[in-house]
Amino acid sequence: MSNFPVFDPASPQAEAIRDLFVQVLWISGGIFAIVAGLICIAIWKFRSNETLPTQDFGSHRKEIAWIVAPVIVVLWIAAISAKLVLTYNAVPQAHPPGQQDADLIVTGHQWWWQVDYAGTDIVSANEIHIPTGKRLRVKLSSADVIHSFWVARLARKMDAIPGRENFIWLQADKVGTYTGRCAEFCGTQHARMNFIVVAHEPEDYEKWLAGEKTVPPAPTDAKALAGRSTFLSLTCSQCHAIAGVSADRSIAPDLTHLASRRDLAAGVIPNTPENLRRWLKDPAAFKPGCKMPDFKLTEAQLDELVAYLETLK
Amino acid sequence: MSASSAEASGETPSKDPVSGRLLSWVSTVDHKKIGILYISTALVFLGIGGLEALLIRVQLLFPNNTFLSPGLFNQMFTMHGTTMVFLVGMPVLIGFQNYFVPLMIGARDVAFPRLNAMSYWLLPFGGILLYFSFMTGQAPDAGWFSYAPLSTKPYNLMPAQDYWIIGLICLGIGSVAAAINIFVTVLQCRAPGMSLQRVPLFVWMSLMTAILTILALPALNAALAMLMIDRLLGAAFFEPARGGSALLWQHYFWVFGHPEVYILILPAFGMISEVIPVFSRKPIYGYAFVAGSSAVIVLLSYGVWAHHMFAVGLGMGADMFFAVGTLLIALPTGLKIFNWTATMWGGSIRLTTSMMFAVAFLLEFVIGGLTGVMFAAVPIDWQLTDTYFVVGHFHYVLIGGTVFGVFSATYYWFPKMTGRMLSERLGKWQLWLWVFGLNATFLSQHVLGVMGMPRRVYTYAEPGWMALNAIAGAGAVAMAAGTLVLLLNVWVSLRKGERSGDNPWGGFTLEWATTSPPPPENFDVIPRVESRRPVWDLDHPDSADSKFEKTPEDNGWRPDKSVTSVWAFVASEAMFFLLLLVSYVVFNTDQTGDIRSASVLDVARTGLFSIALLGSSFTLWRAESLLKAGRIPQFRRWLMLTIVLGSIFIGGQAIEYYGLISSDVTIDDNLFTATFFTVTGFHGLHVIVGLIALSILLGLAVKQDRNVLSGTALKAVGVYWHFVDVVWIAVFCIIYLRFLQ
Amino acid sequence: MIELIGDKILWNWWSPVWLVALLVTIAYGRRFGWKNHAKTAWLTTGLAVLVFAFVSPLGVLADGFLFSAHMIQHLLLLLVVPLCLVLSLPVVKSGAFPPAGGLSRLLSKPVVGWLLGLGAMWFWHVPAFCNAATESYAIGIVRSVSFLLTGILFWWPIYSPSKESRLPASNAVVYLFSACLGCTLLGIYITFTTITVCPAFASPEERLAMMTALYDAGMTSAVDQQLGGLLMWVPPCSLYVFAIISVLCRWYSVDDTEALALQAKTMVEASS
Repeated sequence: MSNFPVFDPASPQAEAIRDLFVQVLWISGGIFAIVAGLICIAIWKFRSNETLPTQDFGSHRKEIAWIVAPVIVVLWIAAISAKLVLTYNAVPQAHPPGQQDADLIVTGHQWWWQVDYAGTDIVSANEIHIPTGKRLRVKLSSADVIHSFWVARLARKMDAIPGRENFIWLQADKVGTYTGRCAEFCGTQHARMNFIVVAHEPEDYEKWLAGEKTVPPAPTDAKALAGRSTFLSLTCSQCHAIAGVSADRSIAPDLTHLASRRDLAAGVIPNTPENLRRWLKDPAAFKPGCKMPDFKLTEAQLDELVAYLETLK
Repeated sequence: MSASSAEASGETPSKDPVSGRLLSWVSTVDHKKIGILYISTALVFLGIGGLEALLIRVQLLFPNNTFLSPGLFNQMFTMHGTTMVFLVGMPVLIGFQNYFVPLMIGARDVAFPRLNAMSYWLLPFGGILLYFSFMTGQAPDAGWFSYAPLSTKPYNLMPAQDYWIIGLICLGIGSVAAAINIFVTVLQCRAPGMSLQRVPLFVWMSLMTAILTILALPALNAALAMLMIDRLLGAAFFEPARGGSALLWQHYFWVFGHPEVYILILPAFGMISEVIPVFSRKPIYGYAFVAGSSAVIVLLSYGVWAHHMFAVGLGMGADMFFAVGTLLIALPTGLKIFNWTATMWGGSIRLTTSMMFAVAFLLEFVIGGLTGVMFAAVPIDWQLTDTYFVVGHFHYVLIGGTVFGVFSATYYWFPKMTGRMLSERLGKWQLWLWVFGLNATFLSQHVLGVMGMPRRVYTYAEPGWMALNAIAGAGAVAMAAGTLVLLLNVWVSLRKGERSGDNPWGGFTLEWATTSPPPPENFDVIPRVESRRPVWDLDHPDSADSKFEKTPEDNGWRPDKSVTSVWAFVASEAMFFLLLLVSYVVFNTDQTGDIRSASVLDVARTGLFSIALLGSSFTLWRAESLLKAGRIPQFRRWLMLTIVLGSIFIGGQAIEYYGLISSDVTIDDNLFTATFFTVTGFHGLHVIVGLIALSILLGLAVKQDRNVLSGTALKAVGVYWHFVDVVWIAVFCIIYLRFLQ
Repeated sequence: MIELIGDKILWNWWSPVWLVALLVTIAYGRRFGWKNHAKTAWLTTGLAVLVFAFVSPLGVLADGFLFSAHMIQHLLLLLVVPLCLVLSLPVVKSGAFPPAGGLSRLLSKPVVGWLLGLGAMWFWHVPAFCNAATESYAIGIVRSVSFLLTGILFWWPIYSPSKESRLPASNAVVYLFSACLGCTLLGIYITFTTITVCPAFASPEERLAMMTALYDAGMTSAVDQQLGGLLMWVPPCSLYVFAIISVLCRWYSVDDTEALALQAKTMVEASS
């Protein structure tokens, strides 16, 4: 079932939706079988003969009678979906005073996801780490156009809309990595705006959190040092932030712990030094139309930059 | 197709055969020729839209394909959607309505033949404007629903989006004009004895579609106007960064967009409601239910738009209410399936190509309907909206429903339009190619949606999605082949098709009472109608419907066509202003900043000019009653006074605008100025149009024109003028007196 | 929740509405008698709903605690009760309703019914009036009475017991559809506006146990108002749609020859 994320839920919410979906599928299948059966029987049984059939104009009583069953079906579907909407969507806008308004703040950008861990300074991109078994409140917004946050195995889909805040629950029961995508068309690279949700055991999560809170130590290696000054002297730092370095813009993904991430460029390529080098050399080769320009870096600059960025663990 | 059908219809060729024949098509006001023009134009755009679909399928054949660049792919699906909805679906249905509504109600033409020609010519004009955008280097690429802010200037710099807006406004005006024409035709031009409860169901559905179009298109026009003002004049309706709303566009678009679905499907319902009874040799089962439930669909379709927006976070209450509304509208839609099945039950079914397409319609449309019900269960929508499941769903509705209905109607009515039969053998080929193609393509897409493939992605990395995309591609090819078979069939039939005679199928309704193709005046003698199946009654005098099924008699009353058309137009305009005023209220409940209605508007002065405008309503009413009393000189004087008062109002508005603009209050300042100038500007435009109409009337009255002196023209313009005044009262209360703030 | 509804505070057993119901019953019995069971059933339903709207927790919560409860009460009084009462009147041949006279003829005009029916809806949701009616007992009574009366006037052109004062089908559909549009607009406004439509509900003077429970479940005053707006919007529109269906049924039925002749007459009059 791994090919079918909708049928392979890993959270109570996704499971409830799956159950509802399966039930409605069965109901629909039943209705289709009845209707198609009736039509086929009619065609077979009443195929052309030369006699003139009785001219039947219809009967109000029969029509009213066959309204009953569809009405019941429709009411039933309304009832079961209402139950689910009220239980699993219940993210009150107003929250008890004293509590923070969200555990995670996810902001959509063309074409990547910014992730802020509330109550900490941690900012990351395209990768969300959560502890298992805990229901987290996620605040969704957008920095530019409308995006849609969708991790099929964990939660409902919810749009990230500029000038608006939406909230959903995010929870994973099992340790694992879950694929997320942008589901609302958001421009040229809508197709390549993926992210992952990594669920850890709570104690591993604490460890990860501690690691993420520390600022990576300044590089010692000469090449990496040269890379850092290249990063700061070119316009990289106009868009990208790295904690501990004088780069704090958030137009583009935060690179503080870049080397520890799984993928590059919102799920486009695995994060290896070779891929990073290829990406820096020509971003448009992987993501045509993306906002990162081709800086025409020399081979030496590329080596230095990769060496530096790989120290950001 | 067009040239040869002219030949078939036995036109008298003019001196220069080619250019003369061409001119006869370009200058025609005959509803049948205009109908054929609509259908042929739709066919051309079907080719273009289909080609775009094929390119999309090729790009998605395998993972990480680079056949199309991402930008080009986005342009392709945008143009595919826009083309299929506005340049294929609506025109082809309007074409059939144009051709057959007058014939089926026993009329000689539509109510306004020249307006009809104008509506048609707006179609190629709008289509060319839309496609002209390719010349700018790039076609529109924000999707057929062009969600703001992606479609606003900061995210979409190219002029293509402007072409999209202007093209759609043109097409919208054309559609509304065509709809008003059909609306008035059905109400006014029916043969004697044909009460509204006796019209053929295709005519009834056309009437319902016309009402939907008249009331739904203005929502799109309002949204397009606002988007255009954003893009070209620098306002910020849809720019959240400057206080605008990213969601307002969606609301407006779907207020139009959901009724649009029914605009595309109701005529198809009408088509198969004609085909199934004829080929079952029985009357439709439960006429009143089929007709009445469509009226209910029309009403409900305005209250379900937000089911396209379950994922935007409107809140639990809104989600549930719209879900229930959607489930409710599924009832009158779905229950018709039973009526059609019951019509076949007990009949004597001839499985012609037309009937087989109708049966295919029933089966495929049920699938599309059921997946629609799934989306009404909100949590399922949360998972599957914006995936390929949605794409599969609405293609089952639009192909299984609309397209199959149109094919069914094509095979049914082609003999009437040309006097020749289409080949049944080629027809069956077309049918099976399309049935295979539809299910291969869109069943696969349902599965892809469940596998997590979002819609509108130009490529994907998952190898697991390849097989189903390949099947979808094969299905698309089959549908394209099926279309070519249809073209071949038409081509062959026009040349050497079997002659059909007047009524090859044993049809029931009035179009079969005349020759094939019908003469320019349609009928020599307009038959008297006594039941829902007049031609059946003629063919089967012993079992005539009028003896067995009592239907409400025609009371003989027909409304005046100019006054009715103006009422329909006014209803459409009222929706337009309503939405503009709603946006004013949305953006101005709490005004901040220096430029506010309280700080820049001079209520007293505008109040004075408003009195002039309201006074003009009184003077016009006075003029009307004087005309009725036959006191022509006084009538002219009061009409003159009306024009003067209207001009004073416009003068006042000019002074106000001058004052504002010279003190640097312009439309791009903030949302107050944007909404203020938009609402009052459009209103002023309407006043000016009204003044022009009144001046023309005055000129004609001076020349003693009989039409003007008969009073209906004045009554029609009067309805419009009073409407403009009523709108001003609302504008004045909301903007100047700040009600609702 | 169940035990909360059982709470004694939430039931207003001594509401004067009983008296009103009793008076209406006596008046109806004396005027029309009890022979027609269907009509009697309509009357009973109408009065039962009327009593329910004031005596049950709905009535108590509507009295300054929950905006959405107020909205349900409002809809019952403006739409459901008057509809039942109009339907409970026995059909008359002609002329008996309304009694001839200037005012009553004016009141039976459809434009008046439409304006008053919708007007009541809009008027009592102007924040100042809504507040006043909730806080003052006397104004509250005025409001309830005005709902009932305008509601009867609204339904009159559709379901009047005398066929000749009913609207012809096409006009009736427009009448109901435009009314639907009217309450849709108000509903949308209440649902989406940032203004507090009725401040009395946003900060009630005292809190009931039930409300605290509801608040904890997410029913804040903003959500309450949204819900109220949606209630203003969807249920009345559904009711109007059902009314339209009944009008269409009437239109398609043939036995109603009398009505048809009348329709022809009114249409000819309208056209001339």
